[in-house]
Amino acid sequence: MLPLTWRSLVQRARQVWRTSLQVRTVAITVFFSTIAVTIISGYMSITIATNLYEARKAQVIAEARLATASTQQLFDTSVSSDGSIDVNTVGLTAQNTVRNAIANPGGTQIALQRTPGQSTQQIMTPFQTSDLDVGVISADLRDAVALDDGQLYSQAVSLESDGRVDPGIVVGSAVEVPTAGQYELYLVYNVRDVQQTLDFVQQTLVVGSLLLIATIGLVTFLVTRLAINPVRIAAETAEKLAEGELDRRIPERGEDVIATLARSFNRMADSLQRQITQLATLSRVQQRFVSDVSHELRTPLTTIRLAGDVLYEQRDQFTPTTARTAELLHAQVGRFESMLADLLEMSRYDAGAVTLDTEPTNLVRLVEESLEAIRPLADEKGSELRLVAPGGYFEADVDARRIRRILQNLLGNAVDHGEGHPIVVYVDSDSEAVAIAVRDYGVGMDAAQLQRVFDRFWRADPSRQRSTGGTGLGLAIATEDAQVHGGVLDVWSEPGVGTCFRLTLPRSADRRITADTVPPLDLPPVDPLEAVIESGDGDVESGYASSPEVRS
Amino acid sequence: MSARILVVDDDQAIAEMIGIVLRGEGFDVHVAYDGPDAIAAFSQVKPDLMLLDLMLPGMDGIEVCTRIRESSGTPIIMLTAKSDASDVVRGLESGADDYVVKPFNPKELVARIRTRLRPAAQATVDSLQIGDLTIDVAGHEVTRDGQRIALTPLEFDLLLALALKPHQVFTREMLLEQVWGYQYKADTRLVNVHVQRLRAKVEKDPDEPTIVMTVRGVGYRAGAAR
Repeated sequence: MLPLTWRSLVQRARQVWRTSLQVRTVAITVFFSTIAVTIISGYMSITIATNLYEARKAQVIAEARLATASTQQLFDTSVSSDGSIDVNTVGLTAQNTVRNAIANPGGTQIALQRTPGQSTQQIMTPFQTSDLDVGVISADLRDAVALDDGQLYSQAVSLESDGRVDPGIVVGSAVEVPTAGQYELYLVYNVRDVQQTLDFVQQTLVVGSLLLIATIGLVTFLVTRLAINPVRIAAETAEKLAEGELDRRIPERGEDVIATLARSFNRMADSLQRQITQLATLSRVQQRFVSDVSHELRTPLTTIRLAGDVLYEQRDQFTPTTARTAELLHAQVGRFESMLADLLEMSRYDAGAVTLDTEPTNLVRLVEESLEAIRPLADEKGSELRLVAPGGYFEADVDARRIRRILQNLLGNAVDHGEGHPIVVYVDSDSEAVAIAVRDYGVGMDAAQLQRVFDRFWRADPSRQRSTGGTGLGLAIATEDAQVHGGVLDVWSEPGVGTCFRLTLPRSADRRITADTVPPLDLPPVDPLEAVIESGDGDVESGYASSPEVRS
Repeated sequence: MSARILVVDDDQAIAEMIGIVLRGEGFDVHVAYDGPDAIAAFSQVKPDLMLLDLMLPGMDGIEVCTRIRESSGTPIIMLTAKSDASDVVRGLESGADDYVVKPFNPKELVARIRTRLRPAAQATVDSLQIGDLTIDVAGHEVTRDGQRIALTPLEFDLLLALALKPHQVFTREMLLEQVWGYQYKADTRLVNVHVQRLRAKVEKDPDEPTIVMTVRGVGYRAGAAR
């Protein structure tokens, strides 16, 4: 559960990062100002620390120098006139002298150690303040002090007291005790106060930096908001315009660059709206006209049709010339009627007034029905009809009337241009799409013809004898029928080899076939059957009887 | 005696032409050219069937249809120049039994007329039970608790078709063939609209039908006899 939430959180953050310019700007600003502020306050902190420490050290050394001098003087003056000295009494006095010499006797520890490796007449008892851990005085320091070159040596140390570690400075110097040899005076200063000051300064710096960064973030947020908001409104308005809300405009305020953008944007939208409205009106008028004409033609056409049919039924009683006239009238009225129907269908598509009446349909069954319907015509032309259907047996949600119309059109074309060769219909499907291909082995088309094949009122060969009474609108309507299903109708053809139309439909109604979709069938479909047909051997059953998918 | 048919169309040529075709088939044809005329002629002629154009001057076909359905179940076939969905459905909802789209084939028109005039399928039983309804087959009457429910002949045929085979689920195509006489695939909206009209008359609550049951994705069947 937790990793999932985490992941979704990261995803959400990424999403916000990608989509919000404001978040991005604020984040980048805060990031870089954090780096800058960190560097600056780091530098400040280090400088302040060094200065504080150095000042304290100088003070400490000055004190120590004074203390050393006083002590040395005490020792020097303590020698009585006979040259003798009570070292232990002097030692005690020396402690007081040192204490007097330093500013903060309570916080400073003192040690007077005898430099090792001397042999003298008498030995002064070394002393040290009770709470001093002599261990903090390092051997290195002692060695340096022992040289007695008149210098003071100092070392930074850490002092442990009451379970706390404080910074400290040890200053050491050498003093000569008459008759007792060289001693080393160590003053151990606790500089906790410096550390405290430093801590306070650093705390202030951190708090200040955080406040500064927050302020920068807030200011950036406000400023970008100020700058981005008009852009966002412009983007939203453009989006709405694109969606068709043509009367959307950007509010124009002020004289700045944003206002200029708003004004020119609105001018563009005005002119766009004007032109679109004009075009829409024009196209509506035109579509309305086509639709009205088609409807108006229907009533007289019905009368003509009825009259023609009555005459046609009685043609046996007429003279041969009149009988033939009645036949021609009958046939041409039929043609006129199907043209009118196609024209009306086309005008419906142009007007966008087409609604799909989908029902679950087995496309293979639909193809079988269409094949049965065209069979008499195919038999007449000598074309054998075959069905190869490895897939497509599921119930597809399609408008069966429209798909049937596409199939009838494609099959009619195949029979008309098939030269009596076999016609093969392939059906196959995959997880995305279902495809139906109608392949003939007839005259085919050249590249120029192929380009125009879906054009309205275009015919491959006007002189050609048509048995299906084509109106020239069939493929244009078929294309629309395919597109209204979210599908695609495409074609392959080669002169003298044949033609193949392929209809690809999405498996579910809410999807569309795009350029990326790989149709379940190749164009033209590669099939073992082809070899049989091209070799002129029509005996398909013998070779493929074992395969249940091949039917003829 | 030949069946009387009233043809209503504002286009005189087509009305006359339909008259010629139908007289050739042996029908007794009367013609009216507008809505009020049609209603007057209807009560005068008492036709066995009416052919009604949807677009009429004065009073349109849908209104004529509604007015006639108030008092009569005489079969009405609409003639329409528009195959557009909304007009057809409006016509059917106002009570037309069937429709023919102009331009039509005379044979098709005659076939449609004969189907509507033919007597309902003769059942071997006199009386049937569907839901809490009793169907008097010979008397063409449907009653609930002795109370007569007025149905048009088409609605009666539809109900009878379902009641004769109470265990059978009828697809819309089967009903189109049995009740409307369509041999090929036709407009299934005919079935949908007339089932709605039938339910409005026979169901106690048309939203929760107990007589004409919907079988989702398939079609309809009769409710259990009670």
